[in-house]
Amino acid sequence: MICKTDISVAILLDEQSPDIANYVQALHHIFESREVAFELVIIANGTERFLKSHLDQLLRTCPNIKAFAFPRKVSQAVCVRAALKESCSEILVMCGSYQQITAEGLGTLLDAFSDDVDIVCPWRHHRVDSALNQLQSRLFNKFLAFITGSQLHDLSCTTRVFRREVLEKIRVYGNLYRFLPIMAKQKGYRIREIPCAHYQERGKTGFYSVSEYIGRLVDIGTVYFNLRFSRKPLRFFSIIGSGLTAAGGLIALWVFFQKLFLEMPVGSSSELLTAVILMVAGVETAGLGLLGEIIAFTHGRQVKEYTIEKSF
Amino acid sequence: MKKYISIVVPLYNEADSIDELVSRILETTSNFDFTYEIILVDDGSTDETWKKIEQLKASVPHLRGIKFRRNFGQTAAMVAGFDHACGKFIATMDGDLQNDPADIPRMLKLFEDDSVDIVSGWRKERKDHFSRVLPSRIANYIISKSTGVRLHDYGCSLKIYRADCIRSIHAYGEMHRFFPALASMTGARVIEMPVNHLPRRFGQSKYGFSRIFKVFSDIFSMNLIIRFSSTPLIGFSICAFPFGALMVFFGFLAIIATFLGWTDGKPGFFLLLTILNLKAILMLVLMGMIGELIVANSDLTHTDLPEINKRNLTIHSEGTGNDLQN
Repeated sequence: MICKTDISVAILLDEQSPDIANYVQALHHIFESREVAFELVIIANGTERFLKSHLDQLLRTCPNIKAFAFPRKVSQAVCVRAALKESCSEILVMCGSYQQITAEGLGTLLDAFSDDVDIVCPWRHHRVDSALNQLQSRLFNKFLAFITGSQLHDLSCTTRVFRREVLEKIRVYGNLYRFLPIMAKQKGYRIREIPCAHYQERGKTGFYSVSEYIGRLVDIGTVYFNLRFSRKPLRFFSIIGSGLTAAGGLIALWVFFQKLFLEMPVGSSSELLTAVILMVAGVETAGLGLLGEIIAFTHGRQVKEYTIEKSF
Repeated sequence: MKKYISIVVPLYNEADSIDELVSRILETTSNFDFTYEIILVDDGSTDETWKKIEQLKASVPHLRGIKFRRNFGQTAAMVAGFDHACGKFIATMDGDLQNDPADIPRMLKLFEDDSVDIVSGWRKERKDHFSRVLPSRIANYIISKSTGVRLHDYGCSLKIYRADCIRSIHAYGEMHRFFPALASMTGARVIEMPVNHLPRRFGQSKYGFSRIFKVFSDIFSMNLIIRFSSTPLIGFSICAFPFGALMVFFGFLAIIATFLGWTDGKPGFFLLLTILNLKAILMLVLMGMIGELIVANSDLTHTDLPEINKRNLTIHSEGTGNDLQN
């Protein structure tokens, strides 16, 4: 397929944002004024009816807007994959359900994209949402940076510019699209973070539900595990497992010593019970790690470990 | 018919030695009659390595180059070479001039015996300090003993593989030392041959003490993989054995305590310990079954018959990459 566009803009429409028509038109306007050949790909994630009712006219009048819909809500990663499949150009701009950064901000992002960069991420400055939201977002990003060692400041913003290859090579699933820059960095792709002006925040304000916080924490754990141990899970599990077993073994030795030399009755000592439980838990943990290792060994063939920058 | 050989050389910050390396390889290839290509893999070097490779491109027609986005390690560099090689035979060697390309034709001769799949170099007279040689000896001994593929020098990078044989194994992480052992799992026949070892001329050795520890922990996990990944249930059952012994022991104590009125412990307590061990056995055996399930559904076909060459019988499906949907 010959691609006639320079830039594909994908809008991942997760929610029913009321001013979607204005938003799409604004995006259209931004790219039209830049005088590049572009296409707009709207991926409606379970919002098909909403999309039809709000964008019907726009879709009919603009030939370079395409819309696709998932009948039911799927994970963000699947939407990203769909956007990748339905677009064709080398550069992809991913956008969320509503405008997150200003038009100028988006312009600077696009300007920053050059041959020596693979991903451009925004870093929203002068944020317009509430202080509590900003604090939570900052804590999230700080913690993430601490755990993964990334230098990025704002992974909560979904607007990003990608080189096509990055999205093709980095396999994201579930909630991991948010963390894609970190995963791409590990594969050697070059990332640039550009400060941008914040336009609006449509998400929930104040505190989120408890499950939301737990979910984000688990996500960070997933990223950490994937980055460090997805190819050698046994190392992760065996550190925990051998620690538990060693602790159990030491306690067992102590119990044994008590029985032999101090002639203490150990028949119903809680130490003995603790020792056995620790050893059982340790071996089971290591066993699970071994299962993981077997999976990595037997099922990881399609995933290449390396990425190639140039070859001849 | 002329033999077609691809020579894969992973390079990490070896800008100083590239010219010499390529001229040595060319010296060998010009004297012998085979078609060849040289694949230089730049493993994310921070020096001028890639520039040098591109400069050589003009003067050396059979040269190919691959540049990684970052440092992915020697194994990944070798695998990239395997993936891009066109030859029927693939040779790997170090980029630091410690291997002598003049050995390659002699090694290739051994492939005239059709049953040979891998010829592994053996640096019989090593030009290294004793502190390097000793850990390496121990490592070789352990790998040979535990994998059943007896080689004197697993660490020698100079090896020649049949292309279809080396591509059938799935290599990642720090596995390059284990290629012969991994390949023999699928029925490959490995032989070794003494090769020259030249002292290091440029730069520093990239090995250190922490490296030794890493190598040994790799040996440990590779052993588990090689042993367990074809018959997981047996492996897990062996792990369950000590708990079986403990279960019998505590069960015995529980019976004594119940029927003989032994005062040292309460019968209920021993019963608890017995059940705990039973649970451990159950879990391990179930994990073994899951393991069998995983292996049965994998695309690898392991055969445990090293004396029969199954190269032409087993078909290893290449990754198709069409399972991107989750």
